[in-house]
Amino acid sequence: MPEQPLFDEKTRRSLEQLILQAAKVRAGAIKGERRSIKRGTSIEFADTRAYSPGDDLRRLDWNAYARLERPLTRLFEDEEDLAVHVLIDSSASMDYPRPETDGGSPAHHKFDFARRLMAGLGYISLTTNDRLTVTRLGGESAAPVQYGPVRGRGHGAGLLQFAAGLRAHGTTDLNAALKSYALRGQRPGLCLVISDLFSPTGLVDGLNALVGKGYEVAIVQVLAPEEVEPALAGDLRLIDSETGAAQEISMDAGLRDLYIRRVRAWRDGLRQDCAKRGVHYVEAITDAPWEKVILYDLRRLGVVR
Amino acid sequence: MAFLTPLAVIAAALAIPILLLYMLRLRRREVVVSSTFLWGQVLQDREANTPWQRLRRNLLLLLQLLILLLLVLALMRPYITVPAVSAGQIAVLIDASASMNATDSADGTRFAEAQRRALEVVDTMRAGDSMTVIRVGAVPEVLSPYTDDRAALRAAIQNAAPGRAAGDWNAALTLAAAGALGSEDFAAVIISDGGIDEADSLPAIPGALQYLPVGASGSNTAITALATRALPGQPPQAFAQITNYGDADADVIFSLRADGALIAADSYTIPAGTILTPPIDALPVGFAALEAAITFPAGSAYRDYLPTDNAAWTVSEASAARRAILITEGNLFLEQVMRILPAVQTFQGTPDRGLPSGDYDVYIFDNYTPTTLPDGDLLFINPPVTLPGLFQVGAESEAAGNPRVADDPRLAFVDFSTVNIRAFRQVTAEWAEPLIAADGGALLLAGEIGDRQIAILTFALADSDLPLQIAFPVLISALLDWFQPPGALADSAGVRAGEPLSIRLAGDIDAGRVIAPDGTMRPLTGEGAERFFAATDLPGLYMLELFANGEVVERAPFAVNSFDPAESRIAPRQTVTLGESTLDDQVEQTFGQQEFWSWLALAALIVLLIEWVAYHRRLNGPTLLQPLVRRANAGVR
Repeated sequence: MPEQPLFDEKTRRSLEQLILQAAKVRAGAIKGERRSIKRGTSIEFADTRAYSPGDDLRRLDWNAYARLERPLTRLFEDEEDLAVHVLIDSSASMDYPRPETDGGSPAHHKFDFARRLMAGLGYISLTTNDRLTVTRLGGESAAPVQYGPVRGRGHGAGLLQFAAGLRAHGTTDLNAALKSYALRGQRPGLCLVISDLFSPTGLVDGLNALVGKGYEVAIVQVLAPEEVEPALAGDLRLIDSETGAAQEISMDAGLRDLYIRRVRAWRDGLRQDCAKRGVHYVEAITDAPWEKVILYDLRRLGVVR
Repeated sequence: MAFLTPLAVIAAALAIPILLLYMLRLRRREVVVSSTFLWGQVLQDREANTPWQRLRRNLLLLLQLLILLLLVLALMRPYITVPAVSAGQIAVLIDASASMNATDSADGTRFAEAQRRALEVVDTMRAGDSMTVIRVGAVPEVLSPYTDDRAALRAAIQNAAPGRAAGDWNAALTLAAAGALGSEDFAAVIISDGGIDEADSLPAIPGALQYLPVGASGSNTAITALATRALPGQPPQAFAQITNYGDADADVIFSLRADGALIAADSYTIPAGTILTPPIDALPVGFAALEAAITFPAGSAYRDYLPTDNAAWTVSEASAARRAILITEGNLFLEQVMRILPAVQTFQGTPDRGLPSGDYDVYIFDNYTPTTLPDGDLLFINPPVTLPGLFQVGAESEAAGNPRVADDPRLAFVDFSTVNIRAFRQVTAEWAEPLIAADGGALLLAGEIGDRQIAILTFALADSDLPLQIAFPVLISALLDWFQPPGALADSAGVRAGEPLSIRLAGDIDAGRVIAPDGTMRPLTGEGAERFFAATDLPGLYMLELFANGEVVERAPFAVNSFDPAESRIAPRQTVTLGESTLDDQVEQTFGQQEFWSWLALAALIVLLIEWVAYHRRLNGPTLLQPLVRRANAGVR
């Protein structure tokens, strides 16, 4: 795969002004750049309360004590960080369309699109000092499975290096992969899943596990236009890129219409499954610019601000 | 139904390669897609929705097998047995005479009906039958030689057209009989309206004879004669004859045109089966051509089914004839021979009245020597006295024996060996040479002075037995032809349609052509002075143009008419007599085989088109619709 920069300077600058946001701020382990719902240790005054034994004497409001002769403790806003989990599907189905695909364009390559998206989201979270973990789901390649957790802008290069090293290969059982990620016992946070969702077993169980563990999940479904409206014709033997399973079809206008309707129904079903669980769902077709997903779609859903 | 070539069923084995190819073709092209799990769902949906899907998938194979089946059936040449007109080696003689133009047939004309019946004979040919088609016109024509190629036979029959002349049945039957030689199952089919004249003299034809009559009615009125003559001192006269051949009285309007100008138009009623000679007033002097026509008043109940004989043409007799004057005290032999000579108008005078004032081409002086010479060619017969400066007449010699004819083209066919002459005069002329000489002197002198030809016969016709000999008209004719070469046309008024015309080229005329009534131009055929023109099928006025050095030097009209009672009498006959056999329209029950492989081939072609459309719909349907669908979806997004 040609090593070209995942995104250019202009895109990078526009990404720097963004911040990832979860609907409910999760308790951060260290100070971050978000205001926490908890009272904390920042310099911004929030409230006072009655002193109770054991409170830090440095926070006692001596002026109030002098006026009111009651010990009061000053409370400050707490600032926290966000745990950002970016999960990228690196199964073979993401390696599409290939150059030999009928009517397929290399510009529509799904995995390229997904890596750029992943890198963009990771870059935003590093810029805002969030705790970033990037994990590839599935694939049997030798590339590392996970990058992070890391924090701070300084890890941008490492992130890009990790992204460049990723290869789409092998199979993925999305349900199992999401479930096992939820059970890993990490600090829950905003979980961004980038995948084509071509998983015969679905992903409902995996989503349930993530949501149950307290993750706020956003799914970006990456599809090539060739998958939405196939340009196939004639008597064909379709080979599944992941499993190698064959499916014989005789492509004609009727079958094509049927397929297009089927894809629409499938995506509608996914959207409903996600909505029921409070999961954000974004459709991304790779003939549109990948930045649009961040700058428009995720912003609209409030995941990016 | 049976098959002529049942072995062609072997071709059905081609189904095996078709099936093999189909299986090979279904070794589908492999395409890698990201995932097939949606495709699997789509196929489940489809098979649940459309039970015909399995059939549709094999539609192309079924269509291809159907095409093969139809083609194999066509190759096996299936046929059904139908009643046939004739079988074996068949000669179909189609009457193409003038009467076949009659319009009393449901097919339009009798000839069209004859064509239809001939095509029926073609359709019912059995395998192994062969057929020839002969068009019986003025010159019989073999339209198709013996063949079993039905398409060629059909084309030959359909391209034939009726003529305007009588048919030459003698030649046609001889032609057909020639084809019958050596054949055991020869059959001749005569398709005619029965207008076969000279039926008794027709050659006998071996084998089966079949007569298919055509035509329904005999109602026809025709102009059967038209002629002109010009007598000295009188205006030209014309004679016409109209014959009603039908069974009903005919009301006709007879019109006569001279050089295109109407000079008479009268209405007559001609009783059934009678001849009318309409009175014709004096014709204008100097006309060249005459056209007579009959038409039928509007609303007349009389039906004239043959329109081609309703007009006739002739040319002025004077326009082609030479004028000769005979000055004699009375010479029966000479008058008689001058009357029978063609294309010569003879006038007569007597010596006591002197030279006539008219202008004549040839002057014949019998036993008379004029004092002044007229301007023209001269023939002196036994001149009594010397004409100074021209000839000297000497003493009379007795009994000239052993006359000798000089080897001269002017006397090429004159045989004087049996002519006896009792006495002749000794005539001398320096300008003349003796063409016929006897022991005592010249019997015939001839020569030219200036541009006039002069001949002198030195004995009185009464003093010899020459007038009783065949040499006499030959000699007079030869001399007149020398004086005045006859026109190019021997007979300009009486050419019958379909007959060839002989045309003489005289002097420096080297080429000629004829302009037919329909405007077509044809050159004369033949070599030398005698040329021929045979394309006289169309009645009407023809114009002969003669060329010398590429320029027209003479134009002579001539008329061609049908004038054939056998053709104008169009009543169809149900029996004809050929030699000793009488033929009627009773058809012997013969069976033929009607094939219909061409329909099977047509059906195969149609199925092939359907297969092609089905194939392209399947192959190109998605790609044709794709841009539209994509655009529509983009709009929704």
